[in-house]
Amino acid sequence: MKKFFALLLATLMVVALAACSGSTPAETKTFTVGFDQDFPPYGYVENGEFAGFDLDLAREVAARNGWTIQLTPINWDAKDFELDSGAIDCIWNGFTMNGREDAYTWSKPYIDNSQVIVVRKDSGISTFDDLAGKVVAVQTDSSAQAALNSDDCADLAASFAKTLTFAEYNTAFMELEAGSVDAIAMDIGVANYQVAGREDQFVILDQTLVAEQYGIGFKLGNTALRDTVQKTYDAMLADGTVAKLAEKYGLSDCVID
Amino acid sequence: MQSMLLQLAEGMATSVAIFVLTLLFSLPLGMLVALARMSKSRLLSGLMRIYISIMRGTPLMLQLLVVFFGPYYLLRVNLGSGYRFPAVILAFVINYAAYFAESYRGGIASMPRGQYEAAQVLGYSRAQTFAHIILPQVVKRVLPSVTNEVITLVKDTSLAFVLSVTEMFTIAKAIAAAEKTMIPYLAAGIFYYVFNFVVAMLMERLEHRLNYYR
Repeated sequence: MKKFFALLLATLMVVALAACSGSTPAETKTFTVGFDQDFPPYGYVENGEFAGFDLDLAREVAARNGWTIQLTPINWDAKDFELDSGAIDCIWNGFTMNGREDAYTWSKPYIDNSQVIVVRKDSGISTFDDLAGKVVAVQTDSSAQAALNSDDCADLAASFAKTLTFAEYNTAFMELEAGSVDAIAMDIGVANYQVAGREDQFVILDQTLVAEQYGIGFKLGNTALRDTVQKTYDAMLADGTVAKLAEKYGLSDCVID
Repeated sequence: MQSMLLQLAEGMATSVAIFVLTLLFSLPLGMLVALARMSKSRLLSGLMRIYISIMRGTPLMLQLLVVFFGPYYLLRVNLGSGYRFPAVILAFVINYAAYFAESYRGGIASMPRGQYEAAQVLGYSRAQTFAHIILPQVVKRVLPSVTNEVITLVKDTSLAFVLSVTEMFTIAKAIAAAEKTMIPYLAAGIFYYVFNFVVAMLMERLEHRLNYYR
């Protein structure tokens, strides 16, 4: 038994050491992208690999500049800490610019997005008026939450029985399915992804809360990196790389040319 | 399905690494803290009292954030992304050492005065008394409450995601989001249960083995 423990410990130490040494900075410049890995189709996990429109774009940008890419799933609540402390170089993950214009150094907007409401199909809710007295879910610190807190939506938000915040959308969908919330306010791209294949259960209301844009967020003042990334992105836009990726992830309607 | 289990198993390796490294450092550190807490020096025991009070009185999640982001926000030192995993271990170790210390202290304090006196009469030094007479009994006595903490630790490893360390529960969440299913949560639950079952079994066996006087 003792030997077994010793062996187990030794193995784990080696694993831990390997994990540590793997993250030391390499000779070439690393481009560390922070993202919420529970946010398909922009950034998520597929068969153990990171996938998504934004992550594919980031990979391509890094490849064209000869950088080593490091995709770092972050805790969305701590994204400002991560960026300010230099643990990540940018936030590239369906990151809404509107309302955050002065908080980050932004790329040009690259996705047109709007905030929509998802409800259960059998709920009988078809317009915003039907949401009066209902429980509505949003993601913590998301743009849907910002939209509901804005003056434009003040009346609508006031008509809800309650607005609940969730760490990520999958939990919110579980709650919606279980009936403990009545609606979810979220980004249209994510809503489309979540509802796909479950059209018999959920519907997206036709009305939209606000229109907004996604951008790549850099630490305030980091214009050098922003400019390099922007230049590469513009080239990718011009040669059709962006359009191809948008098609792959069903986002063709949203990309800004 | 198979790929999902494989991914979860990979995350499990990180969870187990956090678990083992935390125990490796916090079990002995807890003993030092317990001894310092019981020291005659009022400064030392006062400091330890404050330390234990803070560790027990604030959420582990907050402690994780402070350990990782503190150096930058308080001292403007940038430790970089490679500091993530060490930060998780450091936060877990200082938190669990405080809990272990209190368990140990209870065990040490429960030893009858007469044993120290008897040891003195037999010519044992203070250090010898502690190492050969008190400690072996303390270990036996505190084992059940240490087991409690150890089992809590297994489940607490899921807090590592606060610092973006992708342990098993984080992976379960990510798969659930991408695949739109609850099965990863169920699988994660089973993983945790089995892990704890093994831990509980080993601790029970150890308890049994140490029970050599009955």
